[in-house]
Amino acid sequence: MSHLTMGNRFKKRYGGWISRLRHTVRRRLRVAIPYAMMGVAVLVGTALISEPPRWGIWFSFAALFVFLEFFAVEVNDRMLQSSSIMVIMTAGVIFAVETGSDAAFAMALMAAAGPFVPADFRERRWFQPLANFGQFALAGAVAGLLLDANLDLLDGKITAGNLFRVAVASSLASVAYVLTQTILVRRAVKIVFGSDNLEPWSKMGVLFSGQVVMGLLGGLIGAAIVIARRPAILVLIVGVYGIGHMSLYAFGQLRESHIGSLRGFVKTLEAKDMYTRGHTERVAYFAQLIGEELAFTGTQLEEVRWAALIHDLGKLAVPTELIRKRGRLDDGEYEVMKDHAHLVEEILAEVDFLQPMVEIASGHHSHFDGNGYGGIGHIEGKPPSLESCIVAVADSFDAMTSARSYRMALSQQYALEELRRHSGGQFHPDVVDAFERALNKTRRRWGAPHVNDEEMARRLAEEPELTLRG
Amino acid sequence: MVEWRSRNVAILSWVFPATGVAVTLIALPFVDSDPLALMLGGTALVIGSLIGVATSNSGNRFTTGLAVAAAMPLVLVDHNGGVDFAGVVVVYGAGLAMVWALRLARGESHVDLLPTLVRRLAGYYIYALVYNSMRVGIFAKFAGGWEDLLPFGVALLAWLGVEVGLRALLVLGPRELSRTYLARALLHDLNVFLGLTLTGALFGELYPPLKWWALPIALLPYSFAHTAFARFQETKVTYKQTIRALARIPEVSGLGIDGHADRTTEIAAAIAKEMGLGPVQVEHIEFAGLMHDIGRVSLNEPQILKMGYTDDDIARWSAEIIAEAPYLDRVAGDVRNQYEPFRRPGEEADPDISIISRVIKVAAAYDWEIFEKGRTPLQALEHLHAGTAYEYDPQVVASLRRLLTTRGVLEPGSAHPVHG
Repeated sequence: MSHLTMGNRFKKRYGGWISRLRHTVRRRLRVAIPYAMMGVAVLVGTALISEPPRWGIWFSFAALFVFLEFFAVEVNDRMLQSSSIMVIMTAGVIFAVETGSDAAFAMALMAAAGPFVPADFRERRWFQPLANFGQFALAGAVAGLLLDANLDLLDGKITAGNLFRVAVASSLASVAYVLTQTILVRRAVKIVFGSDNLEPWSKMGVLFSGQVVMGLLGGLIGAAIVIARRPAILVLIVGVYGIGHMSLYAFGQLRESHIGSLRGFVKTLEAKDMYTRGHTERVAYFAQLIGEELAFTGTQLEEVRWAALIHDLGKLAVPTELIRKRGRLDDGEYEVMKDHAHLVEEILAEVDFLQPMVEIASGHHSHFDGNGYGGIGHIEGKPPSLESCIVAVADSFDAMTSARSYRMALSQQYALEELRRHSGGQFHPDVVDAFERALNKTRRRWGAPHVNDEEMARRLAEEPELTLRG
Repeated sequence: MVEWRSRNVAILSWVFPATGVAVTLIALPFVDSDPLALMLGGTALVIGSLIGVATSNSGNRFTTGLAVAAAMPLVLVDHNGGVDFAGVVVVYGAGLAMVWALRLARGESHVDLLPTLVRRLAGYYIYALVYNSMRVGIFAKFAGGWEDLLPFGVALLAWLGVEVGLRALLVLGPRELSRTYLARALLHDLNVFLGLTLTGALFGELYPPLKWWALPIALLPYSFAHTAFARFQETKVTYKQTIRALARIPEVSGLGIDGHADRTTEIAAAIAKEMGLGPVQVEHIEFAGLMHDIGRVSLNEPQILKMGYTDDDIARWSAEIIAEAPYLDRVAGDVRNQYEPFRRPGEEADPDISIISRVIKVAAAYDWEIFEKGRTPLQALEHLHAGTAYEYDPQVVASLRRLLTTRGVLEPGSAHPVHG
């Protein structure tokens, strides 16, 4: 290796990473630039064909719209829920119905201002705001054009009698708004991350109906403000809405704290033992990789992540000398270990929310061919759930590629060969395949390079003066 | 005392519906609204008052009836466009008398039902009275809906004042919770109260121009708010369940007394409520109580057992574990100080020892005395009293004594404590 120059060494070590980064940047540019250009074109186009909005009203609604986008709440894995659609539809109906103004430009401009959230600037993310700018502007313009087409004819003469027409128009506009966004997001994800990663985002449809109902409501509120000509109504609506949004925000934070608490808890307990330090986090990471590779939905991914976090909690109840014991446990010790671990599983399973995750976690010692052992959910002779198989593969891989008191860490190549050797027996073949594919994509290497058998790993641990030459 | 209470309950149980009916009969001749509107309003109030909404676990009971009640003065107008005060009074009186009958038929006890309904009726009347006087008084010249909204704001404050005041003062059963806690607990659910009453006002504002379209428009923002409250509360319950499950790990491993964390938490939270701490502090005490001994999981380390450990080590390990957990981390300092004496010889009470630490210390010691040493509640309490010079905060111990007296476990012959 000494013949390598410094530059070559750098290239050899970081070359793959740099080329991967370039590749991702290129793909992101392929989305961000056309989307942003489309956004500008939409704004210019709608400005040319529309009457400008009354800016005082526009600014009030735009401020509220941007505020709600700021405080969008993550209600499920990667799915953000914001009720800004209600505000934009309220403004849209007011502009569409009032004489001397149009909804298309007003809505496109308002929507385009929404995606610039502080977190993007803080974390120096430029791709997302640019792409979102374009897709929001187009969605706003499409919805605005539909509102203009349906409501312009009323020419400001809106009454309680034609509210049904407003309801239909704002429903159509909301469908168009959400649909445009869904299509554009899916397209962006496909270009940047490839079609394999599309599944979690495709579940945006779950929020679809909720968003359309909110849009309909927003339209009706707009009509109500125009009919009643009482600005006080807006204060009441914003009041109720603000209270609800605060609760939703608090819910989002609590939801984060829930998993964060468990993660912090496990992390501190693991930190006491240098051999298990970081194990749970790594298993959760590997399980997530496999889940994504198998196109799991957001909810499934979340369940697997939780299961990975709790899969070893049972060990907390097991006397440490048993966990660290070198060699085989005798029957009595084995029973103590199983009993303690099962007791913890039973306690956790009493938490309704955790029950499915405990079932997944407790099945991670069950084998694909029905052998092995497990707690709740393990049925002798039956294969465990796919989720349990994922945790099993992730756990075994990390166990092999991490150092133990009696042996050094094994190489990734060895660990993968072991997984393949037991594929169809101990491990689920689809999961092993998916894991290998996902690991190759990350191009990260785990374990000690070149430690390709257990005997060598043991000798290296016992005689540290031995060194490896690659 | 008990006799006095039961006599009060008996009197109130008849006075309440009689007042509702009497006020209704007196106001009926002065009603100006359409009888159909009155019937619909009354029916909506009855149905709404039977539908509970999600609140925090502070013991408040709110129903959608609050929204209906808030809408009434804005919807029922007389022929001059002013508030049909008599109509509003009739709807409230007759509606709540009907609610009383229906909830009684459902098997609810007078002790729980009467204070709530009396509080509601008083709150509704004050609200309508203030709204009406403001509407025809200082805010009469406003327009654009502000002539309704500004009186509504003032009236809502008056209503809230009555709700909070009567929540603290009007308790019929044995009272474990301090009046301060009751008042603070009601304010803890202010968002639910405001969500409902603002929705009612929104309907009232929208009804004249939009008629029945006002209903979906007013209900949709509320349904969003309601879903958000419910999700938040659901997650909070789940979160607490998870923490409770984690707290039991050292116990099932044989490293702590079985059920100690749960019982300590229950008694600590009860002391906190009795002392008049706020719902947020009570919640912190619950988390600190559950986690106060979690450091015991380290006791299966052979090295630690060989070297020995102190209570302070357990507190330190417990605090280290929860310091890494978001949300729980805010009580890490309280858990760390749980074994510190509240005052040292020759010094004032240590200001660094929080009330949370002092309550946990007393509650954990009480549970230890009973379940580890096999003492009766009275003996355990006496032991704590003996330590009030330095170890235990005398105010916390006094609160525990009042609590145990209310629960009736200090009488001779009470060998087992009654929790909850």
